Parts: sequence; structure tokens; C-alpha cells
Amino acid sequence: MDGFWTSLDFGVVWRFRYAFLNGLGITLFLSAVGLFGGVLLGGFIAIGTFAHSRWITVPLRGFVEFMRSTPLLMQAIWVQFALPALLGFSLIPIQSALLALTLNVGAYASEIIRAGIAGIGKGQLEAARALALPTPLVWTKVLLPQAFRIVLPPLTGMAISTIKASAILSILAINDLMRVATRINGFTFRPVELFTAAALIFFLVGLLVSQLGYWAERRWRVVSS
Amino acid sequence: MEGGLFMSFNLNVLVGNSSALVAGLLLTCLATLLALMVGIIGAVILQVLRSYPSLISRGLTEAYICFFRTTPEMVLIFWAYFCMPIALGWQVSGLAAGSVTLGLVAAAYLAEILRSGIESVPKGQIEAGQSLGLHKFPLWYRIILPQAVTVMVAPFINYLTELIKNTTLLAAIGVGELAFVAYNMGAQTFRYFEFITAIGIGYFALIFPISMLAHYLEQRKLRVVHA
Repeated sequence: MDGFWTSLDFGVVWRFRYAFLNGLGITLFLSAVGLFGGVLLGGFIAIGTFAHSRWITVPLRGFVEFMRSTPLLMQAIWVQFALPALLGFSLIPIQSALLALTLNVGAYASEIIRAGIAGIGKGQLEAARALALPTPLVWTKVLLPQAFRIVLPPLTGMAISTIKASAILSILAINDLMRVATRINGFTFRPVELFTAAALIFFLVGLLVSQLGYWAERRWRVVSS
Repeated sequence: MEGGLFMSFNLNVLVGNSSALVAGLLLTCLATLLALMVGIIGAVILQVLRSYPSLISRGLTEAYICFFRTTPEMVLIFWAYFCMPIALGWQVSGLAAGSVTLGLVAAAYLAEILRSGIESVPKGQIEAGQSLGLHKFPLWYRIILPQAVTVMVAPFINYLTELIKNTTLLAAIGVGELAFVAYNMGAQTFRYFEFITAIGIGYFALIFPISMLAHYLEQRKLRVVHA
């Protein structure tokens, strides 16, 4: 045990700091695109599930339930290895990763946004209709701004889950933070230092995001009247 | 191409390798159970430590929960798998390292569920029990826990589905669970489409009914509360 502590040399992390920064950049890129695309997709799905036609709602519900009931790792290898059989061409790993992450986040985000829209009082919708607002304006001026405040706290959680999920995508050979640590370990054999550093960086990024979320919550707090 | 694909969907390759897939499924279940056990025990310990009046024990449990909920499971699993042999001096199997790590993460999430359940019991119930002269033990298992459990069941089952999905991460450290088997079979036969689609349907068939059960229990609880 004593030998363990004295054998640690965190200099290896500093030596490969640029590789780590690169990996962090790719992790943040994956997470940001996944979150942004996912929330956008989730918003469309959420609005779609309020449609009157079953031809729209049932496939959307089916998609959401399927994505929520299957693991992201499986979805990622499906997009990378099985989808080419359908498409006739392959995606490069980063495209597969972004596609899988966006679809996955979109399914979860649609549930959050759906709950947010459903959480707005019925009177708001009726009032907007009574004022004869056209449907696009009902969404952009009445429902979505209110839903935004309701969904902000769960979306912060969603953002942290997305960062955590992006680490899973390293299995597609994407040089994100996770895989950078694995690869450097492959020739330096310093797993304790490297994985501890990777875990701490992920943790700090997550903390930062949750602080940003609290800040945004306070910033756009609903002033009850 | 599409028509050709569906025509060529090779069911035989799945049937021929079904025993390997079943073995993978069993390992998935085993990892889930191991992680669940570690998670439940860990959650109870965390909750007990958190309820101590000491600032240190409360701060440490909150820090534990925050860390394990914010850090990706993938990194933690790699950490456990590669660093434990160095720290402890003996080799750990991927299954043990991975399941215990998932269990430690589960403990953080389950502790939060435990707390929300206990806090949902109205203070008056505890005070009424105390004023009737109930001792700590009957107060817990007659008054607090039965009410807390009804609140906790649905989120607990929901977390179970998360846990099953997380066991796929063990594939990354070479544990032969379902996703790992399907990927390897796909690589051997060049039939990725069949294998990965099949386990996709398999995971859905396993997880969707569980989350439906959680949903049903939640709805029923709401009805009881409103009745």
C-alpha cells in the first residue's frame, strides 16, 4: 500500500496536457451538439405528440419509448455497424456518435418538454385561442416561453447526463477525454493517474454545468403574482 | 438495397448462436443483480450516515452522492478495472470491478430516492408515533417505512431500468454481457445488423415492461393520494 502511494506520478497528466485538452474539447463538442440537437428534436417530438392524428402520435411515442428502453451503447453500435446495411454507406465514427447521441437525448428531452408543456395551465391555451392567436404564435409567444421555465431544472440534469453519455461514445473510437486517457495509458501504463485525472475533469465540468443551471433557474425564475 | 436487406435478414445466424446470446443475457442479469445489491446496501449506509447530526458525516455523504452522480460511469468503471489491481495488489475480474462500480453509482441515486421517500412521510406521523411511546425500531418499521416505501417503489423500479442499461458499459472492459456478445458475433459473421437489431429488441422487451410497471405504480399512487 505504501508503495502504491509513492509510485504515483501525476507528471504524466501534465506531460500529456494538450492531448487531455483536445479530448476535453471533443467531449464538450459531442455533448453540446448532442444536447442542442437533442433538445431541438425533443421539442419537435413533444409538439408532435400533441397532434390529433394517431398516425403522428403513435410512431412518435413508439420512437421515444424504444430509445428510452434501450442502452445508448447498443444504439451507438447499431448506428455505426448495422445502419450501413440499411443505408448502403457507412458513417464515420463521429457522425455515428452524434446521430446516436442526438436521437437518444431527443427522446429523453421530448418527455421533459412534453411535461413542461402539459404543466402550463389549460387557461393559458384557452385564453390564447379566445384572442384568436394563430397556432404558431400560440406556441412561440404563449406556450413555449412558459414551458422553458418549467423545463429548465430537468434540462440541467439532462445536460449532465449528456456529458456522462458522451463518455460511452468513446467505444466508437472517438478521441474524447475518456479515450485519450485510455490511449495514453496504453503506452505509459499509468492508469491511476490518468483515469483519476479524467474522472476529476469530468466531475468538474459536470459541477460547472449544474452551477450554470442553478444560475439560469434563478435568472429566469417565474415571478408568481 | 432495402428490399434486399429485409429479404436477406438472416434469422438462422441468430438461432444458431442463440446459446451465446442467452449466456450474454444471463451475465447482464448477474451484473444487474450484483450492482443492485451493492447499491441498496450502499444507499442505506449513505442514508444512515447522512442522518447523523455530525457535519462531517453529512458533508462526506453529500460529496459522495454529488461525485458519483456527476462523473460518467464509463470513467469510473475504467478506473476500477485498471486501478484496483495496482491499489490492492490483486487482479479483479471485469465483472466484479464493473458491477461493484455500477453499484457504487446506484448507491448515490438510490440514497436520493430513499431520502425523498422518508421525507415524504408527514412529520405529524412521526410525532404521533413518538407521543404514543413507540420506540425507535417500531416507529421505523411500523410507521415511517411502510409509508416511505409506497413513495419509493416507482422511482426505484425506474432506476432499475437505468441500471440494466448501464450494464452494457461493462462490454468496454471485456465482460461478455449481451451487448459484448452481439458485437463479437456480428464481427465474426459480418452480420452486425441481425445481432445488434436482435439485442435492441431484446433490451426493449426486457426494459419496457419494467418501466411500464413503474408508470402504473406511479399512477396508482397518485389515485390513492387524490382519493
